[in-house]
Amino acid sequence: MQNFLAKNGPIISTYFLIAISFWIIFLIIIPQIYMLDLSFRPNLPPLLRGGEEDVYTLTHYKHFLFGSETSKDAYNFVDLNVFFKTLATAVVITVLSLFFCYPIAFYIAKVAEHKTARFLIVSLIVPFWINELLRAFALRILFAGEGVINNALLNAGLMDNAINFIGQDVALFTGLTYAYLLLMMFPLYNALESLDTNQLEAAKDLGSSTLRTHWRIVIPHAKAGIASGSTMVFMLTAGALATPVVLSSPNTFWFTQLIYQWFNMNDNWSRGAAYSVLLLLVSVIFVLLMMKIFRIKVGEIVK
Amino acid sequence: MKSHHALKLLLGIYIFVFFAYLFGPLIIMSVTAFNSAEFPAVTPWECFSWRWFTDGKVTYDGQRLAGLMADTKLHDGILTSLQIALGVVLLSVPIGMAAAIVLTQLNSKIRTLFYSVAIMPVLFPGVVIGISTVVLWDRIASMTGGGAMTDIGRNGVFLTILAQTCFISTYCFLIFVARLQRFDKTQEEAALDLGASQTQVFVKILMPYLMPAIASSAVIAFLYSFENYNTTVFSILSDQTLTTVIASKVRLGISPAISALALVIIAITLTAAISYEVLKRREERRLTKIRQMQLHQTMPSDRLKQNQKTSFKLPKSMFLILLSCFGVIAGGNYLATNNLYGEKCILAADEAKKSNFADQLKLLQQNIGNEVTTSPQSGTTTGSQEFNNIFGDPNLFKNFGGFDSKTEK
Repeated sequence: MQNFLAKNGPIISTYFLIAISFWIIFLIIIPQIYMLDLSFRPNLPPLLRGGEEDVYTLTHYKHFLFGSETSKDAYNFVDLNVFFKTLATAVVITVLSLFFCYPIAFYIAKVAEHKTARFLIVSLIVPFWINELLRAFALRILFAGEGVINNALLNAGLMDNAINFIGQDVALFTGLTYAYLLLMMFPLYNALESLDTNQLEAAKDLGSSTLRTHWRIVIPHAKAGIASGSTMVFMLTAGALATPVVLSSPNTFWFTQLIYQWFNMNDNWSRGAAYSVLLLLVSVIFVLLMMKIFRIKVGEIVK
Repeated sequence: MKSHHALKLLLGIYIFVFFAYLFGPLIIMSVTAFNSAEFPAVTPWECFSWRWFTDGKVTYDGQRLAGLMADTKLHDGILTSLQIALGVVLLSVPIGMAAAIVLTQLNSKIRTLFYSVAIMPVLFPGVVIGISTVVLWDRIASMTGGGAMTDIGRNGVFLTILAQTCFISTYCFLIFVARLQRFDKTQEEAALDLGASQTQVFVKILMPYLMPAIASSAVIAFLYSFENYNTTVFSILSDQTLTTVIASKVRLGISPAISALALVIIAITLTAAISYEVLKRREERRLTKIRQMQLHQTMPSDRLKQNQKTSFKLPKSMFLILLSCFGVIAGGNYLATNNLYGEKCILAADEAKKSNFADQLKLLQQNIGNEVTTSPQSGTTTGSQEFNNIFGDPNLFKNFGGFDSKTEK
């Protein structure tokens, strides 16, 4: 501490201390603690808060698992279904994004000439900065009942009735992939760019096939990029709200929409908080899993 | 060798498809902004019009679809978003800078912990950050019970600034960390040895060195704040930002005015990206020129100088611009000659729709008449089933997005 003061002088030290403690304590840690606290409390009207009934309880977590006390089902199939569907879809989309992005990232990083690579990167950045809602809206125009795809197919005489893309969740899955694809691209590209091209040539000279070179040299080298991209895509897909708001059908839910409903429409903040805690828990577990599988530190995931 | 070519071709096709997938929807959306029809579509094409950028339109059944210029809600939303973005930049850039500088001064053990905590917010889902901020401030507001703190705790703009600062500071932090890694510490030591105070060192040496990072983190923070939805939708409470306005519009039913807004945003993004790229290339060219000049000074022969005098080349982009100008003129001509643009076309389209609507109404009334005469025979059927048949087209309201389409059970 003494050292810190001596190093920075009194004025700058105060600035550092205030800025950092404000951020870490006031913006990061305390809000999460309060949310956790609220998730263990019953949903009470403001006047009863802090009264006798305001005791710690597990009702909201129980509700998530077993449903309301009046329901006949053994488990809360509706919410559990939404929860696991969201997670499973997020995993599938993460894998798909990796699969789609890998060839492009490799091409830009290692094969393309400098000028082409620059051009392609700029073309990737432009859609990335367009609002997620608007990108989802673009897909909505394509997939709507009277949308561009349906009209084109009907006009071409390829089918008789319009396909309900939104009801079948096709639109939602496409939209989520579309929204977060580029978050896989950039970490992957950064990782691949640092690969020494000589290694690839050496592998080729020694008779390795293209596939084998990728499997044994390129992919191990891009490990950190893959982990980082996968984490980002999974987190953002599982926690997405904008795209589901625009593209999901009225009878299917994304887990964040469930949280939104408890919070804003049913005015049950504590249950909304409990569900958010679950989402946060999943995110933390996923990051730990990624760190374990790829044997990297958390610092390498976010760069 | 042959398989190599095939592979290359395949890769080329794949890259083309990938970029078509990225840009196709955006291009189609941009095109729909110019179709005068109420539903954003390419086919059937009514008229070419600018109405979604200006006043919008009042439909034949009295519904008002505001265009960009006439949409006051949208304007308020943009103003609120700008306020929030400004607040976020003013908070998160200093926070990110402080955290990054302190990171360099810590010993390795605390350093890892500090770094992990600092990057945590990026790994939190956006909705969680929004909710936790609201929960905390609601508690503070109700504990203080009236007064200034309560007002602040229930102020959506203030809460959104805090919630966004929580994770946007991390992005700023990462930018500063990257820049500081290349900082030469001996500069600081030299200044201190020469008698500068620590504050002077910070202001005169560290700050100028960090200036590019300050600028880029300010831009990044602004952009992230401006386009954020997941966190904002919770923390904004009763106010509206640009993104929440867009979301509520989309939920109510889709209008081409949103396409028009998207086109404006795309145009701004494209201009920014292109001008950034042009500036960067110019800078690079300047640097290579300087390097060449230095080379000339050290080289006695004039060989390199001769190479410099090349004939004036037309830049390739000129062809592209010319081509697009030609395309625009040809397109405009086509629209004008085929009566697809202007008042006349819109009037004709509206007239056609009105008569279409009147036809449907007539059909409806006829069917009601039929139903009334036949219903005594059908007897016990429930009401909703009975009236399903009165519409001329049973699918008429099937894909209508406005209402909650959950059926009663």
